[in-house]
Amino acid sequence: MFLSPVADGCSRRDVLCQLGAGFGSVVLADLLAGESRAADGRGILGGRTHHPPKVRRVIQLFMNGGASPMDTFDYKPALEKHHGQSLGPKEKPEGFVAPAGAVMKSPFAFAQHGESGRWVSSVFPHQAKIVDELAFLMAMASKTNVHGPASYMMNTGFVLPGFPCLGAWISYALGRINEDLPDFVVLPDPRGLPYNQKANFSAGFLPARHQGTLIDAGKRQPVPFLFAPEDFEFARGAADKATVDLLARMNKRHASRYPDESKLDARLASAELAARMQLSAPEAFDVTQETAATQDAYGLNRSVTADFGRRCLLARRLIERGTRFVQVWSGPQGAVNNWDNHGNIQTELAPIAESVDQPIAALVMDLKQRGLLADTLVVWTTEFGRTPFAQGSLGRDHNGGSFVTWLAGAGIRAGAAYGQSDELGYQAAEGKTYCYDFHATLLHLLGIDHERLTFRTAGIDRRLTDVHGHVVREILA
Amino acid sequence: MMENSEQVTRREVMETAAEVGVAVSLKRRPYFSRVAVAMLAGLVALGAEARGAGDEGFFRERVEPILRERCYGCHSHASGTMEGMLALDWKSGWEAGGDRGPAIRPGEPDQSLLIQAVRHTHAELKMPEEQLPESDINILVEWVKQGAHDPRTVKPVERAAAAREWWSLRDLLRPRAPLAGGANPVDAFLNARLTAEQLPIADDCDRVTLIRRLTNDLWGLPPTPDEVAEFVADDRPDAVERLIDRLLASPHYGERWARHWFDVIHFADSHGFEHDVFRPHAWRFRDYVIAALNEDISWSRFIREQLAVDVFWPEATDRVPALGFLGAGTYDHSAAVTAPMSFELLDRDDLVTQVMGAFVSTTAHCARCHAHKFDPISQEDYYSVQAVFAGIGKGNIPFDADRTIGQQRQKWQGLRKAAERRDAAVLLAAEWEVATRESIQNLAGEEIWRVLLAETFLSSSGAVLTRQVDESILASGPPPETDTLAITAISPLPRVTAIRVEVLVDDSLPMRGPGRATNGNLHLSEFELRVFRKGAVDAKPLAIRRATADFNQEAWTIEHAIDGNPKTAWGIHPREGESHVAVFELAEPLEVTPEDRLMVVLKQLHGGSHLLGRVRVSLTDSAEGVFALPADAAKALAVPPDERSNELRLALAAAVLGRRADDELARLPAPDLVYAAGPAAVNERGTVRIDMPREVRILRRGDLAQPGDVVGPGALAIWDDLPARFEGLPEQESVRRAALADWLADARNRLTWRSVANRVWHYHFGQGLSNTPSDFGQMGSPPSHPELLDWLACEIRDGDQGLKHLHRLLCASEAYRRSSSVPTQLIQADPENRLLGRGTVRRLDAEAIRDAVLRVSDALDETMTGPAISHFSQKPGAQLTPILDYSTYLWTEPGSRRRAVYGVVWRGIPDPFLETVDLPELGLPAPVRSFSASPLQALSLLNDRFLLQLSSELATQIREQSADDLRLAMRMLIHRVWLRDGTEDEVAELAALANEHGLEAACRLLFNSNEFLFVD
Repeated sequence: MFLSPVADGCSRRDVLCQLGAGFGSVVLADLLAGESRAADGRGILGGRTHHPPKVRRVIQLFMNGGASPMDTFDYKPALEKHHGQSLGPKEKPEGFVAPAGAVMKSPFAFAQHGESGRWVSSVFPHQAKIVDELAFLMAMASKTNVHGPASYMMNTGFVLPGFPCLGAWISYALGRINEDLPDFVVLPDPRGLPYNQKANFSAGFLPARHQGTLIDAGKRQPVPFLFAPEDFEFARGAADKATVDLLARMNKRHASRYPDESKLDARLASAELAARMQLSAPEAFDVTQETAATQDAYGLNRSVTADFGRRCLLARRLIERGTRFVQVWSGPQGAVNNWDNHGNIQTELAPIAESVDQPIAALVMDLKQRGLLADTLVVWTTEFGRTPFAQGSLGRDHNGGSFVTWLAGAGIRAGAAYGQSDELGYQAAEGKTYCYDFHATLLHLLGIDHERLTFRTAGIDRRLTDVHGHVVREILA
Repeated sequence: MMENSEQVTRREVMETAAEVGVAVSLKRRPYFSRVAVAMLAGLVALGAEARGAGDEGFFRERVEPILRERCYGCHSHASGTMEGMLALDWKSGWEAGGDRGPAIRPGEPDQSLLIQAVRHTHAELKMPEEQLPESDINILVEWVKQGAHDPRTVKPVERAAAAREWWSLRDLLRPRAPLAGGANPVDAFLNARLTAEQLPIADDCDRVTLIRRLTNDLWGLPPTPDEVAEFVADDRPDAVERLIDRLLASPHYGERWARHWFDVIHFADSHGFEHDVFRPHAWRFRDYVIAALNEDISWSRFIREQLAVDVFWPEATDRVPALGFLGAGTYDHSAAVTAPMSFELLDRDDLVTQVMGAFVSTTAHCARCHAHKFDPISQEDYYSVQAVFAGIGKGNIPFDADRTIGQQRQKWQGLRKAAERRDAAVLLAAEWEVATRESIQNLAGEEIWRVLLAETFLSSSGAVLTRQVDESILASGPPPETDTLAITAISPLPRVTAIRVEVLVDDSLPMRGPGRATNGNLHLSEFELRVFRKGAVDAKPLAIRRATADFNQEAWTIEHAIDGNPKTAWGIHPREGESHVAVFELAEPLEVTPEDRLMVVLKQLHGGSHLLGRVRVSLTDSAEGVFALPADAAKALAVPPDERSNELRLALAAAVLGRRADDELARLPAPDLVYAAGPAAVNERGTVRIDMPREVRILRRGDLAQPGDVVGPGALAIWDDLPARFEGLPEQESVRRAALADWLADARNRLTWRSVANRVWHYHFGQGLSNTPSDFGQMGSPPSHPELLDWLACEIRDGDQGLKHLHRLLCASEAYRRSSSVPTQLIQADPENRLLGRGTVRRLDAEAIRDAVLRVSDALDETMTGPAISHFSQKPGAQLTPILDYSTYLWTEPGSRRRAVYGVVWRGIPDPFLETVDLPELGLPAPVRSFSASPLQALSLLNDRFLLQLSSELATQIREQSADDLRLAMRMLIHRVWLRDGTEDEVAELAALANEHGLEAACRLLFNSNEFLFVD
């Protein structure tokens, strides 16, 4: 009844086998990994890039809630001058939680630092010491003042749900550096997910394999599904090994009945990679292997910095071992423990800032000392800024008008700054950049032309940058 | 592959490009031809140096490109947009001009609107927004100065007319099936093509494979070994057809195909976005879709029910959950509160995307910011569809799952509305004559009331209170801002059912009162009755069932006196200077003794001395007719029946029938709820009641700050015989939805029928005839077999319009039966299997993996309907979104063995296992499920708690049945999971594994085997 599968034609699998590659071979896995080049382990660009890349891997630090620019990096002396005056919009703008109050000066002292003379407030004493390593986008803007759409925008380039995030696009374009580890890792704040939940790390309409792997850094087994739960003895240890080995044999036998079926091959290859991930991941995620000095530098010895420090250190370990993109989140969604400081800038911003400051500075310097900064990019981002006007009397409301992002590492002109907000820091005044420009710049550094990285869905060749985006060359080396 | 030549070309382009490391944005042929034209023009231009601004060459080479590039987008026939009624794509266009008159005065650039606009010197017109380069402006000026010579004298073709030739928009006529191809017309089309292309055709698959394929396809489940044996043994000639019929008759069919529809319309059980709130009543829609598919309702009915069942079948209250379609998508709760303008725009945008993608496979949403770049969809079209939904709110909508209760409710709601509107046609109709007469007879008179003799009375603000001869209490002295009056008394009756509060006029009060405000008004914030049992020092207010008054100030109704909210109150403006009465009915009759004390509390907290001036309280023990008759009805009652004017009769009828309706409605059970959208819905923001559609304007660049013309409801203006502007509708939102449903369900809608036929095909064969099931536009994939698609579209359009007919046709075809285990040259002949010369190996869908494990393990709970099952534990999050933990869920809890379609799909926090096996992200519609194979997926299949738990259970079953004979156990296991006999090798290998590590390990292995996870 069957046509014989053993025929005179030579299947793709035969050809590859003759090349001497086993199923574990990265090359083979790549070629067989799926339905199209999009599912390719080397990414849609087939292991190549549009132009020579400066950056191979990225760590994104995301300050969830809308980090206040005028209390951190955007020094605004005019706020002191106009403190208490009603200069804000008369009607409540879309997305403001409350009508604008009076102008409010920052409760924190600012000083200039480094050779670049960058102004930094007292909430970031450690980052103040590394300003000469950083390049700032001082006038980024969002199209919305609402957390959900704004978080989507910074992560996916669209204010609507359903679109792939930056990490997923990079995974789709470039594929993996190291097959033994997830290529796009998300380290959320253990206190909770950010706004939009997991949709911020979604592959959207790209194949599911490009979505972020959520790592619960506090768990003993941080990679989901890496090993069977302990109450299933038959799925652990030697039993697991024996099962997986026999499974591979049986699946290969099954696949031989379908000589050109790439989906079956993809399953076989993925199983092999899974086994390798089981071997590699525990080591990669074990920060206790770091020296005490390193752990202390990241702040693991202080309760206020221990969690974010551990995740920064984890990010470095992953990057070092070939994870392509790591996103580290500071702050869960909600009214507390994050950067959404509506109530009181002094008491709400200071502790969250302290929790990240030392770890961030340590991360940048550690990467530099290890030579990793030569092809690694670190970016500090948030979804929007905050109003120069008080909400209540001590807090600040959402403001997409202007906010700060910084970048450091490969391809970046250290110490540079681009753009400027207006006198009060309310709106971008010069050199306004959107997420499109930020994303275009990131892709550019990775060797990708943002206009040529596309995926066709629902009638459009979609891009991360929609129909916008300019590479911000002013901050490039 | 002639018909596919374009595709081949595109693929080649892509591959070539990919080889040199370029991700290409696929351009279509017209692009290349435009390039060619431009090149030719360039060649011509080489010889045109000497030409002046007054001749055709200058226009064609210098002027037209500027107009084309910078102006046509908003001012041309081809774009389908002519803003300001101005067309710049032919001479007559600018000669006649738009709203502001001729755009060009030849020879007078400074006086020409066009030039003023491009120079940005005109006060209002600054076009285009991003100013043209100086050099371009100079060219236009020069051209106008020289007389604006324009050779474009032929009216350009309207975009829509040209576009109607596109395959999906062409008239849908039934093609003739090729004669030679086969008995089933599906095969006739397919085989004719295979023959023409000289492609080899695979043999039929075996019977086991076929029943596996069919059962997974139609049920989303594997067959049992018994079902397989029965089918294999069935040698009747129509065995396959019988099997298909049996599968289609099972409710499992609806469970499977409903899930497909949920992908297409991005239905989930939570909002998504920042506040990813659970929708506890969304499941009603899930049950509706399953039922509708099982009933095999016609596709047009399916459309009409989901868009406007409330309009088309108002009596079918049990079908209201169909409207869950409108609430299927995301909801940005945060933006709804803080950024309502952009929220509404984008919320409706999501609905437009969903509706137009799901039913007519168009990407209408691409026209939000500008006319659709590829398809004939104007911004006006797009905003017309938005206007259809400009009157709906999303949230919980009440309905009656029991139609008889629903009809009762509708009847009494109708009567109550008529009473509110004083609709004589209803209230004085013969139907209600008897009821009215009886109700009037039952009305209690003054005799049922016993005046309360106050023992003490006290003003919290120290107002002077004096008892009057009629036992009323009169306030005097300087009026305080606010006050609370407390009266205690012994009940004159042993049983109390209601309390009456009369506010009486008095000459001592401003404007004779009855209130103490300067205009005589009063505001009763809260009414309370407490009973202090003997010796008690405290007592709680008694529950009040209902409050009525003879007159209610607008928005200050008597209900406000019992709503527990001190900020709302009852008022009587503008009927000051008259006495009024309010009656409060107790929820339960009160038994009292002379030892007990009653306390009546009258809170008057509004301020501005809106106080009661003179008040008297009475009690009754009557069960009937205790309510405050409106003043005019009371007046009517005083007139003998045969002397009452029509007006009085109406007033009386409205009072008693309104009361009757209230009583009847109170007796009905609470309505059921579904998360949907409609003229009024309840959500976290409270009741969203819109109904009267909001004004929708075309937005330039999709920007709220650049509103253009107002548009009414409508759809896509493509076909002359299917009007796309819904004119003359009453200003009511629901009729707009109905009009859109009619447009979609119309037999003349060429897209609808092609869309559904292709969608059905897509799920049966793993790819559609068109591979982009929700996009039949120029950017979509053209069908591999356009005639077959049209034939199928006619088949569903012109028959009973049910899907099952299509399922039978497709599943019974030869093409469906072809083997997927084929020699490699057969695959190389058509790698993507677009011509279907063979079968395709497909992995089970995410949900189907869980369901299959359950059925194979004999653990499937076949319960249908009901609230969604949570496969996680839950604790409160920082704000509205909870924290979910899937990893600790034990798969032994009640409901855990039901099919996956009954599980909660939390949009922003989906099940991590299902995610790894390609559950789509439901932030947007997902018309196609992608396939991926990742290391994480391999690990989740191996280590997910569900698969491990069921491995244990299956092992226990097999152990019991095999009496510890391991080889027998392995043979049984293979038979159960792979539905075939195991080979000696397989049995031996598995037995060795089981011997060493337990039967559970073998079960786990089989659940992870590709032979189980894939259907071949």
